[in-house]
Amino acid sequence: MSKGLSLCLMFMFSLAAHAENWPAEQWQTGPTTSGPALQALEAYAFPPRDDVTRKGIRTDALLVILDGQLIYERYAAPTTAETPHLTWSISKSLMATVFGVAYGEGLFRLQDPALKFYPALNKHPDLTLADLLHWASGLDWQEDYEYAPLKSSVVAMLYTRGHADMAAFTANHDAYAKPGQAFRYSSGDSNLLSAALKNIVGPARYPDYPWTALFDPLGIRHAVWETDAAGTFVASSYAYLTARDLARVGLLMARDGRWGDRQLLPKDWVAFNREPFSHVQANQDEAVPGGQWWLNRAVDGAPTPWPDAPADTFAALGHWGQAMYVIPGERLVIVRYGDDRDGSYRHNELLKLARQAFALKVQP
Amino acid sequence: MSFVRRRPFGTLSLLLFIALLGWIWQERTALWAFPDIISGYTAKEYCSCRYVMNNPADDCYSYVKQWLPTSGFTDDAVSKRVTVSGMGRSNSAVWISDRQGCGLNP
Repeated sequence: MSKGLSLCLMFMFSLAAHAENWPAEQWQTGPTTSGPALQALEAYAFPPRDDVTRKGIRTDALLVILDGQLIYERYAAPTTAETPHLTWSISKSLMATVFGVAYGEGLFRLQDPALKFYPALNKHPDLTLADLLHWASGLDWQEDYEYAPLKSSVVAMLYTRGHADMAAFTANHDAYAKPGQAFRYSSGDSNLLSAALKNIVGPARYPDYPWTALFDPLGIRHAVWETDAAGTFVASSYAYLTARDLARVGLLMARDGRWGDRQLLPKDWVAFNREPFSHVQANQDEAVPGGQWWLNRAVDGAPTPWPDAPADTFAALGHWGQAMYVIPGERLVIVRYGDDRDGSYRHNELLKLARQAFALKVQP
Repeated sequence: MSFVRRRPFGTLSLLLFIALLGWIWQERTALWAFPDIISGYTAKEYCSCRYVMNNPADDCYSYVKQWLPTSGFTDDAVSKRVTVSGMGRSNSAVWISDRQGCGLNP
């Protein structure tokens, strides 16, 4: 009898272990979808592509993971499933995830002054790592890309005065506010984090750290992360991953930092990523800033930024329409790469149509 | 004061000119760097498009096209070095490694 019971228990445990899908070398594929909801999504994401005027929505890749299985992917030339696509500012959320592994190693605390790990910040001794993660350094940074090239800090950082040492260029900015008091989106803040990581993990481990800490454990085989001439990863902008590989990071985040039976990121780290910055004001950006991730949360009396997605939705977002949306409650990860040169793409519309095509029908 | 009354437009032009000089002085570093943007941007993003994302040359060429003109575009496929001129400046980007991708004037 007891033997029968233990066999029965073992069977149940093995069922529970197998109930959760994880990608091995490749993603497992799940049941495919068709029908009008999918057609509506494709009509939105993949209209006839205008490569002359570059106007309108120009999706390079769209990929959907449900319950740890690949259920949809489509690419537009020249992007393929093998293309390590430029993620632009999704890199910031990836660097935060790399930081999470270092946090799990106990190498720093959120309230540590950034100066402790990056001495060039000696003009800003009160600035903490948490402030940088919130894009709340208080540094007088101008993020515009194309429309104010003369005044743009980010253009100068990537292409002219700052490109050799982006963190040092950022650290030279004056303050406009006390650290931790005000949100101002800044690629410079993200590169200060990247420079701090060099001393957090040590210069010997740093050049391989994104791979040893994050990419290798997740089975990501083709990540590229460009550095500046100082050898600092350009955490603001220059990580490249295939859509399939980026979705692995999404699954890690959807499952609270756990990969298989390993808690790669501490749960309180993911909670910090997903907690709105406390001093954020309504409509300061296209979504609500957390710890280097974007949240669909109602703050400061404003409605959620993406009303057609659940409030637990969070995302990594980049220039020209790069996006990875994570919806833990619906066990959904969506990667969307694009080359949008105007502002016509809408996160909320994509989320609405994708949920209609893939998520809502499995709800009771 | 009599000079101002006799030459009102001359005075205004002089004041505007002084203000312009002041602005140029204040923005001198940004102004000096400005002409490097187009060649630096084009060289770096073309290199990454071609040798990191492995897209065809034609696609990369149209991908990096901006409203400012460039000249003297060379893409050396052997050394994976891309050199671009524009607005009187020249910048190069070169592919470094599988993991590190491309760098601008590394």
